[in-house]
Parts: sequence; C-alpha cells; structure tokens
Amino acid sequence: MNTIALVGNPNSGKTTLFNALTGSNQRVGNWPGVTVEKKEGKIKFKGQIYTIIDLPGTYSLGSFSEDEIVARDFILKDKPDVVINVVDATNIERNLYLTTQLLEMGVKVVVALNMIDEAKAKKIEIDINTLSQKLGAPVVPTIASKKKGIEELVSKAIELMHKDVDFKAHISYGENIEREIENIKKVLKDVKLDYPTDWVAVKALEKDQYILKELEKTHNSDISSLLKNLEEKEEDYVLEVIDKRYEFINRVTNEAVKLPNDNIETISDKIDKFVTHKFLGLPIFALIMFVVFQLTFAIGQDFLGGYVGTAIEILGSAIETLLGSLNAPDWVISFFIEGIIGGIGTVLEFVPLIVVLYMLMGILEDSGYMARAAYIMDNIMRALGLQGKTFISMIIGFGCNVPGVMSTRTLDNKKDRMIAILINPFMSCGARIPIYLVFISAFFPEHGGLVLFSLYFLGIFIALLMAKIFSKTLFKGESSYFIMELPPYRFPTAENVLRNMWDNVSEFLVRAGTTIFIVVAVLWILAMLPVGVEPYSQNSILGRIGTIIAPIFAPAGYGTWQAAVGLFSGIAAKEAVVAILGMVYAGVEEGTALVTAIQSAFTPLSAVSFMVMTLLYTPCAATLGVIKKETGSIRWTLFSALYSFTIAWLVSVLVYQVGSAIGLG
Amino acid sequence: MIKEVLKEIKDSKYISKASIARKLNTTEDVIEQIFSELIRMGYIREDNTKSCNMKCNGCSFASLCNRVPINTIMITEKGKKLLNRQSF
Repeated sequence: MNTIALVGNPNSGKTTLFNALTGSNQRVGNWPGVTVEKKEGKIKFKGQIYTIIDLPGTYSLGSFSEDEIVARDFILKDKPDVVINVVDATNIERNLYLTTQLLEMGVKVVVALNMIDEAKAKKIEIDINTLSQKLGAPVVPTIASKKKGIEELVSKAIELMHKDVDFKAHISYGENIEREIENIKKVLKDVKLDYPTDWVAVKALEKDQYILKELEKTHNSDISSLLKNLEEKEEDYVLEVIDKRYEFINRVTNEAVKLPNDNIETISDKIDKFVTHKFLGLPIFALIMFVVFQLTFAIGQDFLGGYVGTAIEILGSAIETLLGSLNAPDWVISFFIEGIIGGIGTVLEFVPLIVVLYMLMGILEDSGYMARAAYIMDNIMRALGLQGKTFISMIIGFGCNVPGVMSTRTLDNKKDRMIAILINPFMSCGARIPIYLVFISAFFPEHGGLVLFSLYFLGIFIALLMAKIFSKTLFKGESSYFIMELPPYRFPTAENVLRNMWDNVSEFLVRAGTTIFIVVAVLWILAMLPVGVEPYSQNSILGRIGTIIAPIFAPAGYGTWQAAVGLFSGIAAKEAVVAILGMVYAGVEEGTALVTAIQSAFTPLSAVSFMVMTLLYTPCAATLGVIKKETGSIRWTLFSALYSFTIAWLVSVLVYQVGSAIGLG
Repeated sequence: MIKEVLKEIKDSKYISKASIARKLNTTEDVIEQIFSELIRMGYIREDNTKSCNMKCNGCSFASLCNRVPINTIMITEKGKKLLNRQSF
C-alpha cells in the first residue's frame, strides 16, 4: 500500500512539510461523514510511488473533536505503513504529548523535529540521539519551510516501513494501571474490535466516550460488567493515565532537551513584586488611577476639548451665515444655533473627556494591570471576609452597572452573589461622568482629576462598607475560595488602542443621543403642560412633581425643584440628567448657559453634595431591570432602589451639613 | 505532573502560568495544556468575565468598554478530594 500519514499539532509546520513533500502533486477532499478537509499527495522515492496523507492538526488523539477522531481512526483502522509525526522543536514538550499517544498505539513512527533552526535561535538545545533513544523512534531534524531534512526524513520513513520492528510504548503506567490494563485485555481477548486491544484497554481506563460506546455496542456481558466495575471505582484512572504520559515526556525532555534561561525571573514577575505587594499594592493602584483621571482632564479637556469647542464655534458661525444668506426666519436660526449647536455642542465638548477616560482604562486592561488591581482588591476583600471575585464585577460596573450585575453570575454561592449585586450600583458608571463634568466645569475646573478620582474611590469605599455590613447581617456564611490568574504584561500597541476608535465613538454618540432624546422628549412634554403654562416653569407638571420631591433634598443643600427633577430623570437613565438640568435651569438643552445657571443655583459645597448623591443614589431603570432578573425578586429590586437612595441621601446630607458646620458652605 | 500543577494552584497566592512552568521545569504551553486537562476532568473550574454573557446592548457606553477578560480559577470538590488523598 505504501502509505505515509502526516500527523502533528496545529502550527507545527505539518502542512508546510506536506507541501514540501508533495509539491503540486496533491488532491484536496473531505473525510467521509465529516467536514474535516482531507489532503492527499504522491511522492516518488527511488523509483517507488508513495501516498502521503495529511491528517488534521491535533494536540491529542482523544475523542473530543472531529479532527482527533479522524486522525486516530485513520491511523488505527486504515493502518498507514508509517506515521510521520511533525513536532515543533520550539515547543517540543507540548508536541510530545501527541507523540506519546502515537507510541501507545504501537504504530511505526518517525519524528520530524521541525523548525529546528528556530529552536536553535531560541537557544533550545535538543540532543537528537538521546531523544530518539528515549522515545524509541527515529528522529529527523527538519526545516520544512526551507525544504531541509526532507530527503532524510522520507528515507528514514521508508526504511522503517520495510523494517519488521515492534513499536511498543516505553510508558510505565504504574502497577495499579498496568494490572487494570491486563484485566481489561483478558476480557477483550475474544472480542473482535477495529482497534488494538492494548490501546483499547488504555482508552477504556481513560473513559474515552467513543471507545466506551464501541465496547457497549458489542453487547458482551463481560464487557458490560467490566465497564460497570470501572465506573464504580474511586480511583481516577483518567488522571493517572494522563499524568503518566506527562511523566514520560518529562523524563524524555529532562535528558534530551535543555531550555534556555531556566529559573530566571521575567519582567512580569519583577513588576508584580511591587504592584501586588501587600502594602505597596493599594497605594500604587490609587496612584495609577489618580494619574489616569489627571491625564483624562489634561488630554480630554485642556487639549482635545479646546479643538472640539473651536470646531463647534466655527460650525455654528458657518450655519448662521448660511441660514442668514437664505433669509431663514429667526426661529429657525434660533432653533439651529441655540437648540442644536448649543445643546449638542455641550455634549460633544464632554465626549473627548469620556473617550480619553475609556481609552486609558482600556490601556490598563490591555496591559494586564487590571487583573493585578482585582488581585489587590481581592486581598482586601478577603481580609474583610468578603468574596474577592466581587471586585471583578465592580470593575465591570465602572463601565456600566448592567453587565456589572450580570457578571456576578460567576460567583458560586447566593450570599456572594446577592452582596455583589447590591453593591454594584455604587460603582460610578460612565453615564454619570457628564453630570460630574458639568459641576466640575462650574466650580472646580482646576481640580477635575482629583474630584473625579475622589468620587470613584468614595464609590468603592461605600460598596466595601455595605458589603461588610451585608455579610454580617443579611447574608451570613462562608465565601468560596478562588485564585486569580495574572497574565503576563503586554505593551498595548497604538494600533490596538486607536483601532475602531472612531466607530466606537460614533456608536456611543448615537446610543447616548437616542437615550437622552427619549428621556428629554418625555420630560419636555411634562414641562410644557398644562396648556398655557409658562414652559419649564414651576407651574408645569414637571415643576409640580419637582416641587413635591424637592424638600427631601433641602438638608443636602439643593432643595430646588430643578435639582429634584434632574435626579428623578436619572432613575430613567443617568445620561439624561445633564440634558434635563439644562432644560429646567436654562430653558435650553445644555450649553454654557447650564454651567452659568449651575453656578448661581449651587455653591461649591452643595455641588459636591449633589455629585455624591448622583454617585450613590438609586440605579437607573436598566440596572434595576437586570437586578430583578438576576435576583428573581421584586422585593430585592425595591430594596436595592430604596437602600441606595437612603445611603446616598445620608452621605450627601453628611457632606453638606459637616461642610457647612466647618465653614465650607 | 498534573497533580503537581494542581498543588501549585492550591498553594499559590495567584496563578502565573509562567512561574508554575518555571517551578516545575517545563514550558508555559505545557502548563496551559495541563490546565485544559484539569478543567476537562473537573478538578478545577475556570471563570472569566466573558463567560457571563454580558448584555451590553442597551448601554450607551458599550462601544467604548474594553472588556478584557479577567480569569479566575477555582479548585472543585473533586480537586479538593484529590489533594486530600495525595500525600504531597
């Protein structure tokens, strides 16, 4: 038959080798019954034609994918005369797992140690003779991409093809497993199977579902009782068999392979010593976040914000000139210049800030630092008797509380989940940023970064405090234990950071614009009714609603109907608060008029108090919806809405009253 | 080797596949493969923030969010039993 099968891990250079062997003399089809591609080619060696079959790339020969089953079925059922196992020399240990499984099958194997040049460049030293001796199979170094070693490989494969040798694996499974293998072999002795008995015995111990089904199909009572017996045994043979394969590989590589720079600390390890340090970790985290907020204002407002402002002014003048030259009525000019350019313009001026903040947070995530931040917080949370994984949902909550609440699904017990759900809305989501920015512009333009930083940390502090209170009162019990994975640090590339930025920003503008428009439209109608009332006045329906609610906020320093209406609209969507404040304070959507109106309606202290309220009070409708869905309880949803409002009110009043008492008012 | 990796997971403050590889004198790829085996056999469970099927569709900020997954590993009851059975 003269068939040679090529088998190897994905990316081991198997296809390159196949192409190097067969050139254009190949044919592509499909394996019967599956969608896996079948490649077949011919080679001529010393006057003889040989068929080469390129088997699907696979890491092992189990039954977990079509590729694995196709590869092993071909080897065991179609019985090629020899198997060339392509091994990536730069990743030899991992690749040898497949080799070990081939050796277990008892087939004739030649190892093509491919990419040997790259291994040398990486200072991986491989002793070919020792490797061959330890594996019990010939090993030929190759560089398929440069067609080096191909002739020798084919020659070795053909030599082996005609040799009568007994290819037996040199793997010792240990006394226990060897005994079980012998027992199984005895039962299988008289059963006709398409596979070698030794191999089936190992696979049965490995609980290979495909093989177990094949055995069941025999309807042999001895096999049935054997399978039942295996099922009932406490020993995990699956683990033992796999472990023995790794032990075998380890023994082989210990003698035949020398890896470079063993036991040398990587840069990631060195950085981690500082950033995950017991005492330094938290201050470093705080410092990094402070720098992020400072940079947000420096780049987003002072630099980009100026350009956007100028662009809007130029656009406004151009439209005014155009409309004037077209003799448009005054109300049309007013609508476009004051309404559209004035209103949307202010939103646009905040966009660079929001985009820069998200971009910087994205850089932290891409670099791998956010996993360290979660680890640092995990330690703190554990010290407080809380589930550290909660902090991961809190980090997500910084973007939006809806996915933040949903991500609590990864928490195991109900106690941890409920606490994580209830504290997530204290994480300052992106939709609250424009509210802070209006108040920062009005009162603290020089200290924007510090104000934003303080608000975010206040949110974390209140969340941790409430989590501790909940775990001591409402949800007692043990937290489950988990370990966090710290990925290696990566330098975020400019391409990654800026990729799709324009698409992302325009999508954000459309989504935020739509939400704001819907909430503003509903509240605008309430501000116009009843008919004949002065628009946006206290006598409108909106004004009357605000007047009823306003006294609640008086102790916090902003007991006006306008502030009350603004906060009320935030329960629908936090993005809409600024637009509503603009509507009720200045009679226009937003614009510089809003900042001026805020300056006269608030004091710096009541502004801080209002921002604290915004940070902590009732979550938006979408978040409440997801809390209802995740807890399955209206009671807990109402509890979340009311308790967060109460906490926000208490902290806001505390800020205002203490501030006033010490003369900050 | 698999049991050693499981023990390393148990004894570590956090998981760094690179440092486990160095400690067990193997490569990170092998450790990656062993993690997959341990997950498949039910000795450990891996969660990441991508597996919670986050619904961001309604959020204005969805397009700006980065959402790089953070992985956590938990040793299952089966894993704990194995660790207790073994005399490391």
